Amino acid sequence: MSGFDLPLFPGERRPGWVGWLLLAPLILWMAAFVVVPTAILAVYSFCQRDELGRVVFEFSFENYVRVLSPTYLWIFVRSIGYAALTTVICIVVGFPAAWCIARSSERWRSRLVVLLMIPFWTSFLIRTYAWIAILKGEGLLSGLLKYLGVISTPLEILYTPTAVVLGLVYAYLPFMILPIYSSAEKLDGALIEAAHDLGCGPLRVFSQVILPLVKPGLYAGVLMVFVPAIGMFAITDLMGGARVPMIGNVIQNQFFQARDWPFGAALGCVFTLLFVVAYALWQRRSQPIREVRT
Amino acid sequence: MKRLRLLVVTVLAAVFVSAASAAKKSKELNLFAWSEYFPQEVLDGFTEETGIKINYETYASSEEMLAKLIAGDGAYDLVQPSDYMAEVMIRNKMLRPLDLKQLPNRKNIEDQFLHMPHDPEGKFTVPFMIGTVGIVVNTDVVKEPVRGYKDLFQSKYKDRIVVVNDNREIVSWALVTLGLDQNDITPENLKKVRPLIAEWVKLIKVYDSDSPKTALLGGDVDLGVVWSGEAARLWEEDKKFAYILPEEGAHPFVDVMAIPAKAPHVDAAHLFLDYIMRAEVSKLISDEFPYMNPNAAARALLSEEQLANPASYPEGMDYMNVFRDIGRGAAAIDQLMTDLKSAQ
Repeated sequence: MSGFDLPLFPGERRPGWVGWLLLAPLILWMAAFVVVPTAILAVYSFCQRDELGRVVFEFSFENYVRVLSPTYLWIFVRSIGYAALTTVICIVVGFPAAWCIARSSERWRSRLVVLLMIPFWTSFLIRTYAWIAILKGEGLLSGLLKYLGVISTPLEILYTPTAVVLGLVYAYLPFMILPIYSSAEKLDGALIEAAHDLGCGPLRVFSQVILPLVKPGLYAGVLMVFVPAIGMFAITDLMGGARVPMIGNVIQNQFFQARDWPFGAALGCVFTLLFVVAYALWQRRSQPIREVRT
Repeated sequence: MKRLRLLVVTVLAAVFVSAASAAKKSKELNLFAWSEYFPQEVLDGFTEETGIKINYETYASSEEMLAKLIAGDGAYDLVQPSDYMAEVMIRNKMLRPLDLKQLPNRKNIEDQFLHMPHDPEGKFTVPFMIGTVGIVVNTDVVKEPVRGYKDLFQSKYKDRIVVVNDNREIVSWALVTLGLDQNDITPENLKKVRPLIAEWVKLIKVYDSDSPKTALLGGDVDLGVVWSGEAARLWEEDKKFAYILPEEGAHPFVDVMAIPAKAPHVDAAHLFLDYIMRAEVSKLISDEFPYMNPNAAARALLSEEQLANPASYPEGMDYMNVFRDIGRGAAAIDQLMTDLKSAQ
């Protein structure tokens, strides 16, 4: 076998030099901004620190021992929990929305997609501050509900876990809707009609026709919501009042408060490793085993 | 593969050439300062006068500044560390001695602030603004007197309190409440304050260093331990916000200006320092950010209301009682606070 053996499938050709040339910018980019930094992170995580928090190149396992202490493990678990809840809510809210957009007339479809993109024209932080203005005790929502006589005391949502989940769902919902939409748009309506003709009830049409065909979009959506939601720290700080530390906050603190780069690096490495392992397991389970030439 | 290598070499060469030509220009100044500390008017005035372009970058904690200064390795011409951070930077030879001849306006600074514990001879730093950390009370809601941390952290104020999101601050309040030295971060002392802070953490609703006044103005909390500049702006907005120096002991923080050892534009940095120490320029900064101004000449230009602001110019403050560097203790404090916040 030669040095670069990807499992190739019948009909696929090895990339020629044009292919490599086209890939070169991406490869350079990935090497400079993903591979090298990750390698640096890995090296730092086994080092010690001086009084300024700078890395001292003396080998140590100490950082990993600390990462595995109950405090930090519990923070990992909690962050994953929040991200999972966010993902579930995004699916429940996003799936029907994506379906409706995909099934609407062509004129409406493009308009609705533009509406979905509009929030991205404004900075994410500014939109988060807008939420603070809406949710705060003397804010818009509280004022409206008081005016309508629904509540008598100021609303207490801001700076609670509810606000954090609300902020996360708001931030990541488009990333769930868009990939599901692109899968659903391609779905041939004739298939659904055929299923009905052959006697399927609505539930069976959904579970046996729609879901399997929209699955790639759903999976992409889950990845695009779940992964960034775990590490998010701005929303937990701004809307959660930084009361309950999430893993993103804890890592940030190692660099900006605790002067402990190696420990921050170790937390980052464990975090990255978790993703890689989880993703690999998931890939193995969700993909049918392909024929691989040996 | 050869083509790939050629491409890499070309790209790298391009990067180095552009970096080298950038270093030659001295018509710019890389200013790295706290967020919300320089009015745009002041920066524009300097560029107008000297033609020097200011690249203004901000940070939210001294540690963030330190981390980026180390990582950037000499890209900044002026930094704005707090007292204890200036101390450790001087000790590690990260700051350049100032050329006092180029700073005639330094005479405007009140003398005591040029001889502070972090830089006893004033060789490396000039003070920019001085603040305190104290208690803010919304007197419309809270009728009982609050004199110190003991009065503040009571169970009846649960979920009505905002504090700055700064672990060292919180630990220092607990230390002085127990009658210990705020700078004495030892494992024994951290063990002593642990149960006290565990109680406090249950009562606090919001941790916010950038803008603790937001939660107070929004009516989400009624009490807080905040930077005096925030308290001063609250008082300007509404006189119901009272500012109290905690009776257990208050500490000031002195934000200074200094030139990093590897700064590329030293002359421009001196020009800017002298410019902001002019009385009328310094006054503009005070107008927008009402901290205690160590510039005596600028203070003479302030209005009576500005000088009467109890948060800007509190009575009976010992300005020498500053934080000292605690070196590796910062990590122990972070672990303690993470542990307590996570356990609730």
